[in-house]
Parts: sequence; structure tokens; C-alpha cells
Amino acid sequence: MKISKNWLSHYLTHDLNDHQLSEALTFSGIEVEAMQVMPRLPEELVSAKVVSADPIEGSDHLKVCRVDANHPDGLIQVVCGAANCHAGMMAVLAQVGAVLGDLTIKKVKLRGVESSGMLCSEREIGLSEEHGGIIELPADTPIGVSANQLFGLPDTVFELEITPNRSDLLGYIGIARDLSANLGLPLKLPEINEITAFAKENLPFKLRIDEPELCPRYIARLFSDVVIGASPLWMQVDLIKSGLRPISNVVDITNFVMLEQGHPLHAFDYDKLLKEEPGDPGPAVIVRRAKPDESFHALNKKDFQLREIDLVVADGQNPSALAGVMGSSGSAISNQTSRIVLESAAFDPSSIRRTSYHHKLTSDSSYRFERHLSPERTLVNSLRATELLIKYAQAKVASELIDHYPVVDTAKYLALRPANFARLIGYPMETEKIKSYLTRLGCEFIQLGAWCNEALDDVAKIQAVTDDQPAALWFKVPQNRVDLVREADLIEELSRLDGYDKIPMKTPPSRIMDHHASRIQDLVARHLVSQGFFEVLNYSFNDPASLQDLGIDPDINTQKLINPQNSNQSIMRVSLLPGLLENIHYNLNHYERDLKLFELARIYPADHETEPLRCTALLTGNIGETHWKYKTKPLDFTIVKGILESLAQLLDLQADEVREYRAPWLMEANSLAWYVGGEAVMMMGLMDAEVCEKFGIDLGTLDQQLWMIDIDVHRLIELTRKSELTFQELPRFPAVYRDLSFLVPESEKWQRISEQVMSVDPELISGVQLLDQYRGKQVPEGYRSLHIRFKLQDQEKTLTEERIEQIVASVIDLLTKQCNIQMR
Amino acid sequence: MHTQLKELVAKAEESIAACRTPNDILDARAAYLGKKSVLNGLYARLRELAPEERPAFGQLINEARAKIEALLVAQDKEIKNAVRAQQVQQELDLDMPGWMSPLGSLHPVTIVRKKIEAVFMSMGFEVAQGPEIEDEYHNFDALNTPQDHPSRNLADTFYLQNGKLLRTQTSTVQIRVMEKYKPPIKIISPGRCYRNDKPDPSHSPVFQQVEALWVDKGISMSDLKDSLQNFATAMFGADVKSRIRPHFFPFTEPSAEMDISCVSCAGEGCRVCKQSGWLEMGGAGMVDPAVLEMVGIDPEIYSGFAFGLGIERIAMLKYNIGDMRILFENDVRMLRQFRGESL
Repeated sequence: MKISKNWLSHYLTHDLNDHQLSEALTFSGIEVEAMQVMPRLPEELVSAKVVSADPIEGSDHLKVCRVDANHPDGLIQVVCGAANCHAGMMAVLAQVGAVLGDLTIKKVKLRGVESSGMLCSEREIGLSEEHGGIIELPADTPIGVSANQLFGLPDTVFELEITPNRSDLLGYIGIARDLSANLGLPLKLPEINEITAFAKENLPFKLRIDEPELCPRYIARLFSDVVIGASPLWMQVDLIKSGLRPISNVVDITNFVMLEQGHPLHAFDYDKLLKEEPGDPGPAVIVRRAKPDESFHALNKKDFQLREIDLVVADGQNPSALAGVMGSSGSAISNQTSRIVLESAAFDPSSIRRTSYHHKLTSDSSYRFERHLSPERTLVNSLRATELLIKYAQAKVASELIDHYPVVDTAKYLALRPANFARLIGYPMETEKIKSYLTRLGCEFIQLGAWCNEALDDVAKIQAVTDDQPAALWFKVPQNRVDLVREADLIEELSRLDGYDKIPMKTPPSRIMDHHASRIQDLVARHLVSQGFFEVLNYSFNDPASLQDLGIDPDINTQKLINPQNSNQSIMRVSLLPGLLENIHYNLNHYERDLKLFELARIYPADHETEPLRCTALLTGNIGETHWKYKTKPLDFTIVKGILESLAQLLDLQADEVREYRAPWLMEANSLAWYVGGEAVMMMGLMDAEVCEKFGIDLGTLDQQLWMIDIDVHRLIELTRKSELTFQELPRFPAVYRDLSFLVPESEKWQRISEQVMSVDPELISGVQLLDQYRGKQVPEGYRSLHIRFKLQDQEKTLTEERIEQIVASVIDLLTKQCNIQMR
Repeated sequence: MHTQLKELVAKAEESIAACRTPNDILDARAAYLGKKSVLNGLYARLRELAPEERPAFGQLINEARAKIEALLVAQDKEIKNAVRAQQVQQELDLDMPGWMSPLGSLHPVTIVRKKIEAVFMSMGFEVAQGPEIEDEYHNFDALNTPQDHPSRNLADTFYLQNGKLLRTQTSTVQIRVMEKYKPPIKIISPGRCYRNDKPDPSHSPVFQQVEALWVDKGISMSDLKDSLQNFATAMFGADVKSRIRPHFFPFTEPSAEMDISCVSCAGEGCRVCKQSGWLEMGGAGMVDPAVLEMVGIDPEIYSGFAFGLGIERIAMLKYNIGDMRILFENDVRMLRQFRGESL
């Protein structure tokens, strides 16, 4: 549903800007789907009279017009191509200098004819998408009136999504009432009076409802002396902004009242309606089900074969309307119409929905009726339309109000226990506030009474408060609020009006637990387990002698116990390594040769405020268990490095550099660490056999290597805290791979070689892989042979063979210069 | 022309039979049936024949074409079948072990700790951490422990040269959390604790405990019983019952000991439960008002329960481990048994 802010402001006193209004609607539960700003127009746009419009020679559609816009220099000459442009009409003229979007009106020559302005269409002034012709203003529009004044600009149109339960919001007044309740702003309703002055004649007419269950109320009123013409400009503008096209004063009035009140109306041409019996004094309107094989020619020029379950509004003989959906073309208002029947009725929503769905026919009317409209609203509706018909169609009332109301919609009374608001919503609301909110919604506070779980239809049925029933506030519910049927519905309204932002949060979001730390710790442990490691748990103490064996001074940066159970448990541990070495020693003594052990625990250096988490691992023997087919191999540098490389990948750890690492217990040449910010985060290396011997591990006799992995989990947790992955668009063009084989001096390391390759064109070369390394026959001393593969990927296009060759040549050239390679 | 056709078919038969790969078939099809094949050429030569002979010979070409086509399809199928047969290993002993990447395990105490954390996290508890090296205030004073209480002795508690001590229970974390955060507080704090006990089958100077604390408006002993039973069910199964019985702790009022029905004999009475049918799980109770006041929480508004469980003890019960010292030996023959519980 589209609503114009200016029109809405007739019913609601407010000073909200567009954004505030949009927010207010949203938090009222009315979703704003779109907002269309109609800006103020330049003052050069004014009403003007087309004095003459003559075809231009040689053009099939252009006309040269002389236009009166009260300009001091007299008539203005304008060339116009619109078919509806004619002498004597009132139009909107954009004078020279006006800026409309990208268009600036200038003095130009068209077909050699001078044109000093433009006659505008609705689209050109941003009123609608209509561009079939220029705007024709009512003939009595004064010349020289600003277009802003004529079209109520600036304005903003809000496109709203009304939830299906809120049929009361299907008109401007409903929206205004809800906002008024929500914001505490005054509601201004149009004054509607019963018309007492009747026409001289009381036209003969018969109304009958055959299906009271499907049509609980039907109000008809007859008018004579109707003058069909255009509706006033303001009404046309209001309709256009709300998405409807102006048609004629009578039809526009029914649409205007529908949009204002939210309840559709329909007008029939009295003289097109037939009598039921030849002897009847006048035509009839009969609400009945369709007869078998009855057909219907609708206003939209389509034919429908009706079913017996379809409800129709018929004249004495034939259907004049598919009730609540669409009128027939035969009974429609035409330019010749002078007497009309105005229908204001209520229909069963399911019946309307079934008919509309079956015949695939929807209208603004069926949209509203199928959401359930109260019969109570039909009276106001009819009176409002009566007033407007008299005023804008010179109509004379030609009958009493003919009101058939077979199934009376009685008012409902609902009880609300204030304590139940607190129970369901989570905070208490004072009684006075409850009354105030509900009154603003149109409810009426009746009295205190005993709580009762059902809606009552009579005040007299409300019981007095007793000891065993909590006191409840009883309200009379406005009949247009068909959605308010239980206490819970009232509670929802109160909570909505007070604002969902007022609902307190009971449990604050998780704030104590460090979920990230827990996750990283878990990932490290599970990664090692998946690589074949067993977790060990050792006491939290170090033996000073063991630390010395590792080359760690037990007196520096340690915390000592006063009362250790043994002197070898006298220091809070600063290294997990001694415990692991003991575990290796123990298990080797039990004839376990292939061992992978880790401990992930806190260490307690004196200079650390927290007790940092550390993960240390030792591994020796073969990679895996012996297998009959795929032979296992002894662990080596490449395997151990791979364990940490995959961990870095798992944690998305970006190391600044990976280079050699030194520790007193490691062999220099085979040790490596991942550094971030100058500090090692993950370390690995080959244990010094001499150190191992001090722990009773004789690697020489065993003919095994013992490798160490050490991870600063505490730092790893902090380093990975902010990592955020962003998906990269998949390449749209195929990648190309090229292999190179060359000799390179031993002094040139892989890191540098791969960096050099990438540096040739970082945009195109997206990866370098090492396929093989070879030393031996045909490779001179001091050299190794490498076989590499690099990937070329252009994000914009498929690479040409020529370009690929160019890059390959550049790679070879650069490697030759920088790394002294020799191609093989 | 008739002879030529016959020869052609014979030649085709021969070379199709010699096809060994799907590519050979493609080549043969092109050679004998393709646009530039001899057979295709024969159609063009029909007009060399007398008009009355043309239909019959045309018929013959078509037949030859169909025959070659059938041969190609048959040979193609045979080749593909042979390839499929090759891909299936013959003489395969299905019983021989497959190749596995090596798999390790977590330590059983870690496994049980993680299970406990998961159970409580599913009940909405958060996991809180605190230091193991503590001060006397958090370990004793704030927990309402009298100054002359024997647990403060050197014989019970490890002290450090810098005046600090090793926490004797993870309740210290409760105090630290309550000092920092306002209720609602719903935490567990697992971690290492220390008591000066000589290692024996049921004691260790270093052990792990998990402490639960829930402070909010309206928390009662009833919530304590709920949480205990939920924990026992999640850990040991739906048949396990729980109970609390009166006890004394300085930091809870009322205090209780928690038991679960024996997981080994289902309450019948056995060696594990010393014939009682029940297993002691740990201490519990409503946080003493004095403790709440000490951390600035109004005991008139808030109440809470706390309980503590020994993780090693639960691991021993769950996996039927008879001696706590086994857990600290780190024998891979023991660890290997927990592969199935680890990931």
C-alpha cells in the first residue's frame, strides 16, 4: 500500500521528517518497503493556458503552441509533441531556466520553430510514471499557479507492507490512528455528518440480502442529478500519489473514501439496473450466490463463468458485481450517468478470497475485503462518500439511508491482567499506562472485573472481582480491530506501542568465557591427535637438575615451592620438555619405538602475569605403523615441518618469516621457527642426542632421531583473535600451468626462488609449486636440479599463448639473473 | 563395384577385430563410415550403374554400412568391458588391513574434562579460567575459611617462596568472577588444583577439578539438584540417580555432599562403591551469604549454588581405572585405548 506523507498529515498532527516517520512506522509493526521522495519543483513550473496549438508543417505530431503563463512579455511559444495537447486546455508549463533532473529547459529550435519552454507530463514532474500525454489541469485552474502548490510538493510516498492480521491499517486513518497511539500525537478525523436535506424525489429501489452469512451488512444510498466530470485536482493528485489513476469524480470519490477509511465502496449506474419483477416500481440490488451457468462481464472487459459458491451483487436479473471484487461493465458509471446507487457493504472474507483466487481476479477492493473488514465501518463510509458526492459531483440525495444489517457485529469486551503483561513481556506496566495506550488505539476502558479467558459480547456478563479470580481490566474493543480477540492480543499491542526496545534482556550475552582461546587450544590439541600424537599429563613441577640439563637456569624467572614433596618437584614448571623426555624414556623402556607425545598445559614463568598456555611435543621412530603395502619411513625434517605447516594453515596463521631457530637442546642445522613480530610462535627441531642421554634416552643405540615441536599457544591465541576470512570470487577464466626444470646453486634457497618467480607478475602468477628436487648424476657438484610449476591466471581474460610465452621468458630471465639458474 | 564392396566389408571386419583401444574404434569408424570413406564414396558412384540396378546396389551399401556399424559397436563394448575388468583387482584378499593415517588420542582426563564442559555448556554455563598460583585471600579468606583452619597448613597446601600458594580448589575462580561480574553468573571453572597428598591409588598432589557456580535471583537448592542430575545423566546415562546429603563446608550454607548411584553395580552394592550402592561425587551447597557479601553481591537479592567435582575420579569411574597413578604414567599402551573417545 502506498501512502503520501502530505495526505497522511491531514489526519495526524506531527513534525516528523521522512526518516523519523519511516522509523515510527517500522517500530509500529508496519514495514516500510520503499520510500519515494518527490522533491520540490522549480518555481519556473506554473499553470498555463494553451491559447493556440497548431500543427507544424512537415511534422506528424509536433504542434506549435502559444501559451499564457501571465508572463510580462506576453504569450510564450512552445513546441509540444503530445497528442492530447489542444487549444484552450490548462497545462503545466516549465519555463526557460527550469531544471528537471538532468534536463534544463532552454530556448531551442525544433523543426526551425522556436520553443521557450515545455508542457509537462506527470513523469516529467516526478508525480508518476505516466507519460502518455501532458497534464491537463481542470479548466478553472488560475493561470500562473506554482506547480508545487497544484501538486502538493514536496511530498514523500511510503510503500508499506501491512501484515494480513491488520485490516484496520488498510487506509490512511488506520495508519494515522496507529501512529497516534504509538507516538502520542493528536489524531484529526474528518467531520462526518448525517445529511438531512433530501432531494425532492425518493427514487424507487429494492434491496435484499439473500446470503446474510456472506454479507452481514449492506448500505445503499441513491443519488440523482449527478454531473459526471473530473474530480478536483487535489483529489486526483492524492489518488495518483497513492498509486491509483483518476477516472471520474464519482469513481474517484469511491476510491478516495476507500483509501481514507480503508473500506471499499462501489457505485452503480441506477438506470442500468433492472427490476426484479415487472411490477416493481424500481430496480433492485440483490446480494445472492451466482446461479448455475451465470456469466459476468467485468469492468476490466473480461468474462467470467461464475460458480454457485461465488457471491454476487445482482440487479433484478443479472450480476452487477462480483461482490467485493469488481463491478460489471454494464452497470458501471459512464459519462451519461446521472443517477447512482452507492454501495457500502461488508462481505465474508473467506468467500471473497475463494472467488478472487479462483477467478484470478484481484482488486484494491478484494485485497481489503479478504483481510476481514468490520460491518460497523460501512455507515461512516457511506456518509463520507455522500458528503463528497454532493460537493464534487453536484449529487442530490435521492433516498434515505437503506441499511440492511442482518448479522449484527456486536462489540467485544476483553479482560487484561496487568500481571500477565509482566509475565509474558518481562517487565511491569502501570495500569494507567495500559489504559492510556489502549484508549489511543480506540479501546474503551469499562471497569475492573473478574478475569475471564474469553471475549464477552455484553457488559452485563462481566463478573465482579472475587478472591479466587485476579482482578482484570475490561476493555471494549473497537470493531474495526478484528484481530483483537484475546488477552494475548492486547498484551501484544501494549508491548508494541511501548516499544520492543523497552523489553529488558534477562541474561547478558556471554561475557566471561573466552570462546576463542578455548577453540584455538582445542584445535591445536585435535590437530596433533589427528597427526598421531598422544596427549600426556605431567605434574606442574620441574626438577632444577632437569632444567640445568637442558641449559635452562633454574634460578632465573622461576617460582619455587617452600614445601615440595621431593626436591625434584621444587619449581613450578617453565618447560614441558623434561616431563615429555621422561615420558619418552618410560615408553621406550616398554619397547614402544614409534612415539608421538604432546602436552598442552600452563607454564609458570615468574615474569608472566598470566600462566601462559604452551604445547610441546616429542616424536621419534617411524611416521606411521608398519603396513604390508605402503611401507612406513622414519620421521624426518620434512614430515615434522609439514605438521606445523598444516597447523598454520588450520589456524590461518600468517608468519612474518620462517627461518632457523636456536635452543640449547636442539641441533642447529635442523631447527626452524615461525616468527611473528620478531618472536617465535611455533618452533621445531632435532633434539641434541647429548641432551637426550642425560634423560636416559640413547638415540645412538636405538638408531632413531628425536624431534621436538614447541608451540606458544598463549601467543597463538592472541595472534589469531582477529582473523577474518573473506571469500575471493572464483576466476572466470581458465588457469594455465607451465613447468620449468633448471640447475641452481645450492646457496639459492627455495623461498627466494619462489619469490622471484612470483615477482615477475604478481597479478598473473598466482602460485608456484615445487615438483621435484634432484641431486646426483648429471648435476654438477654444488648444484641441485629443481622442477617447478607455476600457475598463470588472468582475472579479466583468457591468456593468449603469446602472453604466456612472454611471461615464461621473463621468469627464466629473472631467475638466471637473480639466482644463477641454468636451464636444463 | 560389387567386388569392391565385398572386399571393403572383409577389410573392415579385419581391422575392427584388431582394434584394442577406444581410440582405435574412433579411427576405424572414421575410416570405414566417415564422410571421406570408400563406402561413402560408393553412394556417389551409384549413377555409374544402370538405373534399374541402382536401388538393389544402394540396398547393398546400406546393409554393408549396418554390418560395419554393428561390428564397431560390438568391438567397442568388448574393449570397454576389458578395461573395466582390468580395473577390478583380481586375487584381492579383502581381509588385509587398509592403510590408515596414524591417529593419536587425548589424555582420558582431558577427554572427561571436555565432556563435562560440553554438558554444562549445553545447560548455559560459561567456562571460566583463573590462575593456579593464588593468594591466600582468594583461596581461603574469601571462601570463609577460618584463619586457624587445618587446610591452611604446609602439610595440606603447597606454598611458594614469593608468599603465594597453589590453589587447593577451583572455587578461587568463582571469587574472581564474582568480583568482576554482576549476576546473573553461570559458570564452571575446570582446572588443575594442588594438595600436599602423597600419590596413592586415590590421591595425587596434582589433580583437576571442575567447579560450577550459578548466582541469580531465585536460585535455590532445587536448581542444584537439577544440575547435578542433568550432569549425571549426560555423563553416565539415563539410569543413573543422584542425591545430596547434609555436610559442612565453610563457604556454603546449607552444605551437601553429592552422590550418584554406583555406575558399576547400578546401586546393588559392589567393590567400587564399597557396598554402599552410591558414589561420592563432591561437595556442594548454597553459596554462603558471607561469601556473597565479601564480593559485593547482595544476598538479600541474589542467591546461588556451587559444587565441585574431581575430574580424575569421574574418569576413573567412567573408564573403570583402578589406580589414579596410572593417569600420570602416560603409558602409550594406556593412551592408545582412548583413540575412540578423542575427536
